[in-house]
Amino acid sequence: MISAKMVSSVTFLYLACTVLYFNYFAFRSERLGKFATGLSWITLLLHTAAILWRWVESYQLGIGRAPLTNMYESLVFFSWCIALLYLLWERKIKSRIIGAFAMPFAFLFIAYASLAPGISDRIDPLIPALQSNWLHAHVITCFLGYAAFAISCGVSIMYLIKIRKKEQGKKESGWTALFPPLESLDDLIYKTIAVGFPMLTIGIITGAAWANYAWGSYWSWDPKETWSLITWFVYALFLHARFTREWRGKRAAFISIIGFVAVIFTYFGVNYLLAGLHSYV
Amino acid sequence: MSRNEDKGLFPSLWDSLSSLRLTIALLIILSVASIFGTVIPQNASPEEYLQVYKITTYKILRILGFLDMYHAGWFILLLALLCLNLIACSLKRFRTTLRFFTPELRLDDGQWKTYSPGQKFTQNGLPAQMLPGIRETLSRSFSPPRVVEASPAFHLFAEKGMFSRLGVYFIHLSVLVILGGSLIGSFYGFRGNVNIIEGQEADQVILRNGEHIHLPGFNVSLEKFSVSFYPTGAPKEFKSILTIREGGRKVLTESILVNHPLTYKGISFYQSSYGIAGVERVILNIKDRESGKEVSLSAMMGNLTEIPGALSAFSLSHFLPDFQGMGPAFQVIFSEPNQPQQKFLILQNHPEFEEKRPGRYRFMIKEIEPRYYSGLQVTKDPGVWVVWAGCFIMIAGFYMTFLMSHRRVWIRLTEKGAETFIEIAGSSHRDRTGFEKEFQKIGQALNDSPMGLKEVKESEGHS
Repeated sequence: MISAKMVSSVTFLYLACTVLYFNYFAFRSERLGKFATGLSWITLLLHTAAILWRWVESYQLGIGRAPLTNMYESLVFFSWCIALLYLLWERKIKSRIIGAFAMPFAFLFIAYASLAPGISDRIDPLIPALQSNWLHAHVITCFLGYAAFAISCGVSIMYLIKIRKKEQGKKESGWTALFPPLESLDDLIYKTIAVGFPMLTIGIITGAAWANYAWGSYWSWDPKETWSLITWFVYALFLHARFTREWRGKRAAFISIIGFVAVIFTYFGVNYLLAGLHSYV
Repeated sequence: MSRNEDKGLFPSLWDSLSSLRLTIALLIILSVASIFGTVIPQNASPEEYLQVYKITTYKILRILGFLDMYHAGWFILLLALLCLNLIACSLKRFRTTLRFFTPELRLDDGQWKTYSPGQKFTQNGLPAQMLPGIRETLSRSFSPPRVVEASPAFHLFAEKGMFSRLGVYFIHLSVLVILGGSLIGSFYGFRGNVNIIEGQEADQVILRNGEHIHLPGFNVSLEKFSVSFYPTGAPKEFKSILTIREGGRKVLTESILVNHPLTYKGISFYQSSYGIAGVERVILNIKDRESGKEVSLSAMMGNLTEIPGALSAFSLSHFLPDFQGMGPAFQVIFSEPNQPQQKFLILQNHPEFEEKRPGRYRFMIKEIEPRYYSGLQVTKDPGVWVVWAGCFIMIAGFYMTFLMSHRRVWIRLTEKGAETFIEIAGSSHRDRTGFEKEFQKIGQALNDSPMGLKEVKESEGHS
């Protein structure tokens, strides 16, 4: 399949983008930065083409369904969401520093799709439970939310690195000096979660609406549902904790990272470790 | 903290109930508890638990309610406590929100400094002469202002997106509405199952606890069930054609699929499983050993079928889905004139046995048409619309909280000699960069207005 080959090449391009963003850091060269951004946009464009082409291929096989329905496709789409959201943010905040902490996520997830054993890139027709229009709304909102959380996690890591150096009393030298100020990082952690949280909420609601059609119940405490609720609790905690002073900054960054761990467990852990109704992705 | 000691029990209870620390603690406890609920299998049978746990562990888990944790008293109590905390926090916070309903139309000098001041202008003439033009410009570029006259000065106040401040209350309300909807469902709804064999009907369903519930004044029958597969072997479609009858009168016939339930009088029927209940019809090849002729026949299960051109007849009396590991088998009762009745077994996958059996006719099974049963989940949930209303309120709340912002603009016109001094200030409680642009546009609109205002670059000691 051509689309799977396109995904493989896009994977290497994401690796190149990641390396470029890191070099931008190391050499602080504006030209390298521009190059990183340019290549990322081109990669995203090819990535979009790969997803669309897979859609076309599904029609050629006489199946005809959106490429959002199995582990492989969801990983490819997750990576796409991360790259898109990051690049939009980069435009908005006019800083490329976050790139070195956001692009690796886009690379890792798409690489996992192409390289991990047991993840099939075959286009299979939809089983009855997945034959629903709720699928699109549910998958798109969930992964946009997850992508925002991934970027938030990246920024949180930056925050913790920077504050650690500061606490050790070291003079800000080398690459952390390039990091945005702590307040800006803290603000960005909040802003990315302020995008992710409503998206996750809509993802859970569309999932509940779908479950009500398919399983006859909008909520059945299935492990996937429960873990999405745990994730929701963690980010709700983040948003509320910010109102009290002692939970800002470092603790908020930790909650954001714990939240992303919960996202990853909801996404992978539930499938690999726990049995439940939601066994497709 | 010493202040708290002076208070009675009730106010200190209120303080802890309306504290954000309680919210944080509850969210952490609920998350950790929920993790246990996903690791420990829920609502499994005692045998399944004993395969995993020692008997004492099993007993402890059962007593603590961990085996049906989400319905355990302590888990529901935690949720109830979260609701109380949410109500208390909202009420406490609402007092500070309330003051935005009666905005300060005029700022004093101290307040003026705290808000981000914008451009300043001057123009010859009295403030009263300037007012209509300024008012019109602000209406056009932002929002119609309210005016306070403090002769000879004037204060204008305009705001947008005040509702944004209510977003958080909408979200909190929505959580209560959703939980309320789920309570309605658990008190006035039910969830059960029923298996119906093709051609049969059911007027009651079996709940999880084994209780039977009658359908209110109607029954449902399964006309036909069908299943289809993709070439890969994966299922493509499960379909049941159902008919609803009320007092023996046919009301409607509809097919249901996974993701396409049927709802009648508030009760929904979902396709959830299927199985083979028996055999409807069998297509057989019957070979006459004497003449060597072979005929193909279709035999209904249990009915007497005549062999064409002969006086013999047979019936298929029993179906064995898997006879001694050799696959589907049928018991045949065969009768010939003036002969005792014979009973023998025929196997679909082993026609060679049939070759060895003495007798004139050989029976070969070509095709078995199964008689399916369809497993339906039957649900009544009058609270589901309340839950959807709650979800809608929640999304509206998020829109208000994260996408809207409360923006306020003040303008004051003060007399300074023969001139009028015009100052503007603005504030936004969220998205400050977005507001900055809007605020600059208001200044630009004043600058471009036909009033011919002169911009003052320096404050020149004016406070």
